[in-house]
Amino acid sequence: MNSMYVQGNSFLHQLDPRTKILFVFSIILFVFLFYDPMFQFLVTVSLLPIVFLSGLTTPYLKTVKFMFLLVFLIITVHGLYNPMGDVTKVTWQLTENLSFKHDALIYGAVMSFRILSIGTATLLFVMSTHPSDLANALVKWKVPHAVAFMILSTFQLIPIIGREAKVIMEAQQARCLDVKANMIQRVKHLIPLFAPLFITSFMRVHQMSQVLECRGFSSTGPKTSLREMTIGFRDYAFLTAIALFALAAITLRAVVGGTLLPITDFVLMSALIGIWIVCSIYFFDFLWKSVRKKVV
Amino acid sequence: MSAFLRVENLTHIYPGKIKALESINLEIGEGEVVAVLGRNGSGKTTLVKHFNGLLKPTKGNVWIGDMNAKKHSVAKLSAKVGYVFQNSNHQTFLPSVEQELRYGCENIGLDEETIQERVERVTELFQLEDILETNPFDLNSTQRKEVGMASILAIEPKVIVLDEPTTGQDHAGSERIKEVITMLKEQGHIVILVTHDMQLVGELDCRVVVISNGKKLADGAAREVFKDKAMLKEASLEPPQVMTLAEQLTSFGVNDHVLTVEEMIKEYKRVKKLDINKQLQTS
Repeated sequence: MNSMYVQGNSFLHQLDPRTKILFVFSIILFVFLFYDPMFQFLVTVSLLPIVFLSGLTTPYLKTVKFMFLLVFLIITVHGLYNPMGDVTKVTWQLTENLSFKHDALIYGAVMSFRILSIGTATLLFVMSTHPSDLANALVKWKVPHAVAFMILSTFQLIPIIGREAKVIMEAQQARCLDVKANMIQRVKHLIPLFAPLFITSFMRVHQMSQVLECRGFSSTGPKTSLREMTIGFRDYAFLTAIALFALAAITLRAVVGGTLLPITDFVLMSALIGIWIVCSIYFFDFLWKSVRKKVV
Repeated sequence: MSAFLRVENLTHIYPGKIKALESINLEIGEGEVVAVLGRNGSGKTTLVKHFNGLLKPTKGNVWIGDMNAKKHSVAKLSAKVGYVFQNSNHQTFLPSVEQELRYGCENIGLDEETIQERVERVTELFQLEDILETNPFDLNSTQRKEVGMASILAIEPKVIVLDEPTTGQDHAGSERIKEVITMLKEQGHIVILVTHDMQLVGELDCRVVVISNGKKLADGAAREVFKDKAMLKEASLEPPQVMTLAEQLTSFGVNDHVLTVEEMIKEYKRVKKLDINKQLQTS
């Protein structure tokens, strides 16, 4: 497996990568148009059926947990300590000196759901698009072939470097390097691990450039591709839907403003507790798996 | 006394339920040279990675002397089992050959005097005197491989695992590696080779362990193992060319008990002499 791409034949998989790039940009536009946690939450939730229908549920749930860790920190830390807005408006008084402030929580919740929705859209794109198709799409957008290839090869090199790092770690352990030592020792040990990794990576890239040249990489003129992508009916339909949504969102923003509905304490508390619950589910799942691994 | 390196009923299953080794039993005593043979992906490297704890058994045990490899860290086991990786670039990172040679000794906390003594010994062994100050990445691949091997030998492990030692080596490099293996054997070390180089195995005239699909197919002297044609076919192995030649010439009176070119020459001379004698008698 060379990237996060998950093979499939769903509607999303069949879309042209260019359509999907526009889709990701439109999601970014939606979530930045409004400053309303309810709206951001709705955008996130509305993406979930697409995840399910594309058959990406399991890999999505596996990857999104890292985002939840970030979101958990953002909403909690901002809610408690961000001094923005009216600090006397308290939503949840924990102790005498510690409380979740209303305005800070709005900021935390908006940021959290923005990250989740943009993250989900990006994951949908990355998981349903073969790296080669992405490179082709970029070439069709008049991105120079060399630049498109650079992006493509990054996807391919990361797992290779990962494997190499493992071998280097083993090679250094074979020279009595104790990788399970204390923190300070471990930081010192980064040199024997990273120096060979950098050197071999540079050697590999250099070799790769020669291999590419030997196969006519820098020849001028139009290039053909094994995987041809065309924008078809379903792309136009999808793009039209996105355009309609965007139009509606922009009109709404112009007429109503950044906040659609008054934000109550109940909404903010639901956002905070909801994120906490999802994070704790992930945490207990992680604990359970570690314990089971130890037992086995 | 039981053997120094013992593998008991070793099974290894990789994540994803890929069975790489199945119920392997092996005993290797001091002063033995063992070549582990088999096609790529047969489980050779998986087997030898258990010796210094890089992999831990899914089932069974690996004993290094009185240490159970399951219960000790790689760093600790590496003082007893040296592992020379195929690609020496993976372990080279210091700016001079001398520092590379010292690195392992420093990790096990030897005193300056001992380190100096060991570095001198391996320097002499591999004739590295002129390149001690050179950056390892400025050396050619043969020299770099030798530096990698020397840096492991400086730790003076009892067992030495060599992963593809002769791959990419020039003739002189291969010869030196052969000499070093012979010398280590004489000093009582255990040398374990993972290799596809049948000529090397023939010339070392060592014990051979054949692995195929994670199972041990054969274990014995190279001379005997290489005669089992059905087994070799199953493991996709070819005996040394000179042995095949000898087998083709048995009808001319050549003994197929030949492993090296020197032995073949001797055998040829013997047959030739017999032939001349026969001709003399008839005339």
